[in-house]
Amino acid sequence: MAENGNGSARPKVAFFDFACCEGCQLTVIDALQTHLELVEAVEIVQFREAMTEKGEDYQIAFIEGSCTRKEDEDRLRKIRAQAGIVVALGACAHIGGVNALANLQPSLQDVRQYVYGDKWDWYNTYPARPISAVIQVDAFIPGCPIDRVEFLSVVKQVLLGKTPAIPDYPVCVECKLKENVCIFDKGGVCLGPITRAGCDAICPTYGDGCEGCRGLIPNPNENAMQDVLLKAGLSVEQLRARMTMFNAYDPAQIEA
Amino acid sequence: MSLWIIDKSAMATFVANVMGDYRVVGPKAKGPQFAFDEIEDPAELRLDYNTSILPPKKYFQPQEERLMTFKRNGDSAPEAVIEAEATVIFGVHTCDLHAMRVLDQAFTQNFPDAHYLTRRRQALLIGIECLEPCDEHSFCKSMGTLTISEGYDLHLTDLGDVYAVDVGSEEGLTLLKTYSDARLATESDMQQLNRALSAKWPRFPYKLELDVDELPALMSQSYNNPIWETLAEKCLACGTCNIVCPTCFCFNVYDEVDLNLENGERSRRWDSCMLDVFARVAGGENFREQRSARLRHRFMRKGLYLVERYKHLGCVGCGRCARLCLADISPINVFNELHE
Ligand code: SF4
Ligand code: SF4
Ligand code: SF4
Ligand code: SF4
Ligand code: SF4
Repeated sequence: MAENGNGSARPKVAFFDFACCEGCQLTVIDALQTHLELVEAVEIVQFREAMTEKGEDYQIAFIEGSCTRKEDEDRLRKIRAQAGIVVALGACAHIGGVNALANLQPSLQDVRQYVYGDKWDWYNTYPARPISAVIQVDAFIPGCPIDRVEFLSVVKQVLLGKTPAIPDYPVCVECKLKENVCIFDKGGVCLGPITRAGCDAICPTYGDGCEGCRGLIPNPNENAMQDVLLKAGLSVEQLRARMTMFNAYDPAQIEA
Repeated sequence: MSLWIIDKSAMATFVANVMGDYRVVGPKAKGPQFAFDEIEDPAELRLDYNTSILPPKKYFQPQEERLMTFKRNGDSAPEAVIEAEATVIFGVHTCDLHAMRVLDQAFTQNFPDAHYLTRRRQALLIGIECLEPCDEHSFCKSMGTLTISEGYDLHLTDLGDVYAVDVGSEEGLTLLKTYSDARLATESDMQQLNRALSAKWPRFPYKLELDVDELPALMSQSYNNPIWETLAEKCLACGTCNIVCPTCFCFNVYDEVDLNLENGERSRRWDSCMLDVFARVAGGENFREQRSARLRHRFMRKGLYLVERYKHLGCVGCGRCARLCLADISPINVFNELHE
């Protein structure tokens, strides 16, 4: 094993993708370019998006994407069996993300027909789920896409042998620390009060309400949030769309 | 100490002159609201602002700051980092000046905070008297913070074409004399100031339904009041109320290391007692897990605990929390409801 600057072995790292847009892996590639020390700190043995080699000897697995097919479960279990540490990369792997919107439709067959037309039966599917619904996951990097600074911070925590901690307070905290004018004061709506921080409130900072891509904080007061959104003028339909954009997944959807 | 007069038309020169030797900060427009920020052109300074999103305490306790750097291998001792620069803060309202007394106590008692105190010593505060209520959320008159007689270096009152400038410290006087062409006030200037100050009083409503001196006693009887449960149903536990409060000073300390795992930094960031995990301690126990317990704690701090510890109320009536709370939770309503 190669050594890092600290004199210890560089951990071998692999990247995997399931149902996703690969935007989170692109963010990783971006981070590799802006933070060259990252390449020194770890040894990447598998990363389909960035290299052709395919090493199967890795200790840390980053997994992007939701699990949307029964047959993907085996692949996930194999990764779990090999890796000492499994990290869910991005909203799809972390909370199901936009993939779980399909779970809200009356029938998945309709969904397949809508997406694939007359080839619908070529593609198998089942209700979308975060990877933690299939395998045990050690750490999560939320977001659609992930935040590169947070990615680096999680890597550092893993290298230090710590369980990576991500913020458990809401986006409003970061937004207020930046002294933003609240989106509600500009006539908009925002899920910042119940959404997990860590993105540095990027959407409200640039004038858009939060859509909840980083998932909910622990113990969110969803009823109070809904009251606030209705008072701000959302219809019940708009409210439902906003609340489910990234957070449609509910474990009850996969009980079968 | 002494009263001076400066023409409004001479203010820009005063500010520009000060900018030559100090970092100058003050209220600036931020969209439809205002925020304290660095003044790069005297024309940006909006002494007519209503209120700022964050209070000016951020110049003494920044939202986020490095405290020290360290080496992980322990080869050398950690090094303190104190980032401070000589600063003049223009346009601090009297509620925020009162709040500074709370912070001064909090950062001086028991463990004097070198980071806070270094910045505090390098800054001059120029207050400005409010002649109209900033908006419907404030209740400074009820809290006794609508005016102040000390705690500033200079204090301005708008008298139409001129500002009356009350000098509160030697440093303030030197600043005024060095950088402006202010003149000593005459008898008639003083009369004009007194008229302005007495005329402002009736414009501010008294909103508290009890005497502010009775507030600590009221709070000490309110621990088991059902109001905390009622408020908890609509509170989002978003932390906004703490973050925007001029008397809140809690922070969280965290470490970050480089990717080479050799060099580290210890920093702190404002924290909020309304957040779910604020009271979580080692071992995972959270002794204020319920939102109702956190709301109660926050209001107890404002109306009782800080008086016990620092002899000053923890609420100065600035209304920032009420203005920005999406659940419309306002201290004045809470205090009045507890009083019923
Ligand atoms: S814009 Fe959104 S995140 Fe920012 S304070 Fe308002 S509700 Fe919170
Ligand atoms: S503000 Fe909300 S939607 Fe935007 S990145 Fe952050 S969590 Fe995602
Ligand atoms: S701002 Fe309002 S909703 Fe948010 S924590 Fe404070 S009281 Fe609760
Ligand atoms: S509790 Fe609210 S009104 Fe009182 S000082 Fe703090 S922000 Fe201002
Ligand atoms: S609360 Fe009172 S003192 Fe403070 S800004 Fe408003 S009017 Fe001025």
